[in-house]
Formats: sequence, C-alpha cells, structure tokens
Amino acid sequence: MQHTLRELLEQNLIENHDAERIQALEQQRPFSLHWELKTLLYLGVILLNIGLGYLIYQNINHIGHVALITLIGGLCAICMAYSIRYRRPFSPGETESPTPYYDYILLLGCLLFLVLEGYVQYQYNLFGTRYGLATFIPMVLFFGLAYWLDNRGVLSLGITALASWVGITVAPQEILSKNDFNSGAIVYTGVALGAFLTIVPFLSERLNFKKHFSLTYLNFGVHIGMISCLAGMMALDREILFFPLLCMAVGFFLWYARTRGSFYFLTVAVIYGYIGFTYLLVNHTASWDFDFMFYLLYFFLSCAGVIYFLIHYKRFIKNKQP
Amino acid sequence: MTAYNPKWLDALRIREIVAAWRRNEWIDEPKWKNIEAAYPDQFYSPNLFVRIGLAFFSLILLSAAMGLMGLFFDPDSEIAFATFCLFVGVMALLFLEFWAIRSARHYGSGVDDMLLYFATGCIISGLCLPMPYQTDELVYYCVALPFLIAGSVRYLDRALSAAAFVCGLLILLKIALHVPGISIFLLPLTGILFSAAIYLFAREGQRRHAWRFWHRQLSLLEWMSIVTLYLSGNYWVVQQVASDALQMVDMPLPWFFWVLTFVLPIAYIWAGLQQKDRLMLDTGLGAIAGAVFTFRYYFHVLPWAWAAVIAGAVLFAGAYFSIRYLRSHKGRYTYAVEGDKIWLQELEEQLIEQTIASQNPPVPVKKDGFGGGQFGGGGAEGNF
Repeated sequence: MQHTLRELLEQNLIENHDAERIQALEQQRPFSLHWELKTLLYLGVILLNIGLGYLIYQNINHIGHVALITLIGGLCAICMAYSIRYRRPFSPGETESPTPYYDYILLLGCLLFLVLEGYVQYQYNLFGTRYGLATFIPMVLFFGLAYWLDNRGVLSLGITALASWVGITVAPQEILSKNDFNSGAIVYTGVALGAFLTIVPFLSERLNFKKHFSLTYLNFGVHIGMISCLAGMMALDREILFFPLLCMAVGFFLWYARTRGSFYFLTVAVIYGYIGFTYLLVNHTASWDFDFMFYLLYFFLSCAGVIYFLIHYKRFIKNKQP
Repeated sequence: MTAYNPKWLDALRIREIVAAWRRNEWIDEPKWKNIEAAYPDQFYSPNLFVRIGLAFFSLILLSAAMGLMGLFFDPDSEIAFATFCLFVGVMALLFLEFWAIRSARHYGSGVDDMLLYFATGCIISGLCLPMPYQTDELVYYCVALPFLIAGSVRYLDRALSAAAFVCGLLILLKIALHVPGISIFLLPLTGILFSAAIYLFAREGQRRHAWRFWHRQLSLLEWMSIVTLYLSGNYWVVQQVASDALQMVDMPLPWFFWVLTFVLPIAYIWAGLQQKDRLMLDTGLGAIAGAVFTFRYYFHVLPWAWAAVIAGAVLFAGAYFSIRYLRSHKGRYTYAVEGDKIWLQELEEQLIEQTIASQNPPVPVKKDGFGGGQFGGGGAEGNF
C-alpha cells in the first residue's frame, strides 16, 4: 500500500493530494461485516428449516404437536406477510431487495411452506395419491412469488418443483444419485425439460420481461438437458437419437457462449460434448480390438485439441471480458 | 526466485490495488485509465471456468502422455518405474518452465497449475517408490516437503503451500508421537507451537515488500495456522488422538482443553473485530460451531433438532439485529459491501443457489396401507 502509493507518485500517475486522501480514507475506512452477517442469516434460515422439518415428524404423537404445527404455520405466514408487506412495486426488470434480510425471510417462508405441505400430505394424506398436485402447488406458488417479488432463489425452488412435477429431482448434486436413468420416460422428459428451460430465457428477453432470470434458467437447462442426452446414450443405448441431440445442445451453448461472452457455458458445453464423443468412440471401437495405444493417442491428441480451442477462445468469444 | 515475470506480477498487483480504490471512488476515471495503461501485463490468465476446464483436460492429456511414454520405455522393474516417474516429472517441469511460463506466458491458467501438480506428484512418487515397504511415513513426508516448498515458492502456488504446511505439521506430529511417555502433552503443544510459528512467519512475511509476490500464499498460511491452532487445543481433537493413536482412556488436563475449546473462538472473534482482521473473525465464527459440536458430542443436553431450531433462531435474530444496528449507527463497522470482497460474494451466491435447489419439494413418503408401528398409526389419530 505505502509502496504502491510511493511508486505511483514517482511515476506521476497520481498527485500528492490523491495519495494523502487515499491514505486517510484507507485508515478511517470502516470494517465491513456484510459477508459474515449474510452468511449467518443464511445459516440461520437453513438450520431453522432443517430443525423444524425434522421436529414435526418426530413429535407426531406428542402433546406439543399442534403447537408445533401452529408455530411453523404462523412463522411461514409471518415470513410471507413480511415479504408481501415490504415488497417493491412490481417491475418487469430487476428490483433491489427492499431490506437486507428480505431475501432470507422470503426464503424461510418458502422452505417452511414446503415443510408444512409435506407434513400435511404425510399426516392427513391431503392429496391422496395425486402426487402431481403436491408438487404442482409449490411450483405455482414459487414461480408466482419469484416473478412477483423478483427473487432468483425462489425461482430456483420453483424450477426444482417444476422438475419434480414432471418427474425429476433436479437438485444439481443429486441428479446422478437419485434418478433412475434406465427408464426411457425420464430421459425423454429430461431432454424436453432441458430444452424448455433453455427456451424460456429467450422468450423473456424478447418480451423484455425478467431478463435477469436467464442465467438461473439456463444453468438448470444446460445440466438437465446434457445429462439426459448422455443418459440416453449410455443407459438407453440409443446413440442414433441422443448423440445428434447432444451435438445440437453443445452447438447451441457454444453459440450462446460466443454471442454472450459466457465462459461458464463455453466450458460446460465443451466438457459435456467431450464426454459424449469419447463415450461414442470407446463404445464403438470396443469390438474392433484396438491397441491400448490407440486410446492413449486419442486422449493425447483430443485433449491437446480441446486445450488449444479453450486457450484461443478469445478468437471465438466475441464480447471480451477482462 | 519466481518463475513468472516479476514486472507483470507487479503490474497485476498494482492494478488490483488501484481497482479497489476506483471501486470506492477514491480516484477518478482518467487517473485509473492512466494507471491501467502504465502497468500492462501479458500473462495468459483466463476466466475461472475456463481455468477449471483447462486443468481438467490438461490432467487427461498429461496422464495419456505418461501412458504413451510408458508404452515406449516399458519400465519393467520397480527401480525402472521409479526412474520413469522421475523422468516424466522432470519433463513436465521443464515443459512448465520453458513452454507454459516463458513462451506461452501462462499464469494461473489451469495448464500451468496442472503441469506443476503433475510434475511434483511424479517426482515425489519417483523418489518414494523404491523405498522398502515398511518405511516409516515420516520418511515420505520428509522427502516430499522440500519439493512442496520449492514448488510453492517458485511457482507461487497456493495448493502446494497448503500441502507443504500440512506436510510440515505431520512431520512434527509424527516425531512427537514417537516420544515415549509424554507424547500426549507433546502433540497438542507441537500443534500450538507450529501454528504460532507459522502465524508469526506469515504475518511478518506479509509486511515485507520484498515478499509481495507471496502475499497470497502467506495469507493462506496465516489462515491455516489459526485453524490448526484451534484444532490443537480443541477437546474433541485431543481426546480422539489420545484414544486412537495412544490408546489412552483418560486424557490429562481435560479442563485445560475445555477452556481452550471455548475461549479460543471468542478470542478470535474479539481479536478479529478489534484488529479488523477478517481471517481471524471468520475463523472464530467457524470455531464457535466447532466448540458447539464438541460440547454436544460429550453432553447431550438437547435433541439435535431442537438444537438446530434454537441455533437457527439465535443466528437469524443475531444477524438481523446486528444488521439493523450497523445500518443505523455509523462507526468502525459497517454493513455496506466492501469493494474487495466481490469474488467471495459471487461464490457465495453460486453456493446458495445450489443449496436452495437441493431442498426438495415434498416427496410423498406415505404409501397406501402404512401400518408401521413406529408412529403408532399416526395418520389415523386425531386426538390432539
């Protein structure tokens, strides 16, 4: 800091009064607790949700049971009421959170709603076997709240509910562990859902309506779509259908990365495409009894090619970002 | 000392400092532009996601290259294989030094990172492989340590610095473990002294202008040393070591470690707030969680669900009122966003989106004809 100031002064890049001012400001600059406090808020929401969600099942036959349900319901209602009371006026663009804790209170309300709904279904069998309805209600609620109150966290919850509704659990960490990719129906649904989620942002951009939700939609869309394509190739053995689909998806996201300057989608598309192509190659050459060396050479050359491509993405991506 | 062009490293560093001033609007735009133009660098340092992709493909490429060379040289004995590893490691290192850094000007691109890890891994394995089977782990650590230190110093790599820290700590702990009789006292003491020494070293190092290229690594070491300092005094850690490694039923001086378990986090938070030291503060907050878990491990005062509810409520309320207070009182602390925390916030947002998404909407668990005894037919009873 001192050295930097001195050096900049020597180079005449700043003037004496700049240096004095910066030094003074640096010394009296207050210490920001923003990140710490936000993390604590988030931890608090998660702990409350986990604890209450577990307690409600644990105490089913106890006296305090009704009190507990009332407590959860009341808390949920308070959160929702707070969110609605302090909301910003609706706008098709992005709005800033009205208060620092606003997003967290809304999130807590939504999560508690899920706890409550799951419990009501469990205990009173409210929806019977119409499980679709049980995921349909939170989906509608979350999408509604996300658009109305402009909250991307709730939008993620809504997309998750949508995916459950159409038959997939889409939490990114669980997508491989919980879903049975051997069933064709789920794979086809996944591809369709991925395509749908990818289209939504373009519609909203055209209509100029909540454009800042694009990234959330695309993030779900790219992973659901590509993993479903790969699953179709590997588990269903229908490469004829799914490999071209995968290629189309990769091509699409490369185009997106190129026009929007998004490195995230560039890398993701390249990795999925590489996995798909490698699988195809290995699977189809297995019967030809190639030498081990062939595969080593393949990996060597293909990786060199991909690395070359990624390093020279600057020629490829239009909007350069620093 | 460093393999990277020091002039460009300085340029990066100065631009980073001035960019923070610019974000706070402490200097005006034309001056910022001038400074930016006066300190150019020609490093190839891509975006984080591209870096991850490049590292991923570099690892496959390097493994395939090693496989191809293996087919060519066909090392058939243990010594031959060890020599082969050394050879590959040295080749990778030369490639890193002369191609990636000097000619392609990579700096934190994923390719240079992976070349460095691959080379270090190969060289260390090459040296360790020929040793007899029953060699003490200590020897392996001692072989690895100089390479880890050299790699982290020359290539400014934080992962290697962290590995060197862990390796150094393990060497001392292993030695302490072998001292008969007093090792239970020596182990925590070693941890505490090592952490304190590294802490002082890292603090002093960050004050030195001559060591400016290593400030990031030193800052990482500083953080690791406060973490290991807490762990060395934590009751649970010491008790586990005593029972697992030393087969002791009772550990000596339990009160001493209980005091450390609870006092250290508070001391960290206090010092963090006093000194405006974010590392200390955040580690202290984490250590509070550690202290709570330690306590609950030995004393089951509350069922965990209740504990979670109460802790959640306390955290939420605490943060809520702190934010309110900070927003209405101007002083040494603020809730306003600080310019230089931007990447952490982005990471946090990414993380939060992930965790929110993993909260499933209710999955109906109750099947028809649910007759399980464990709830006593809960569904049918309505006698509240």
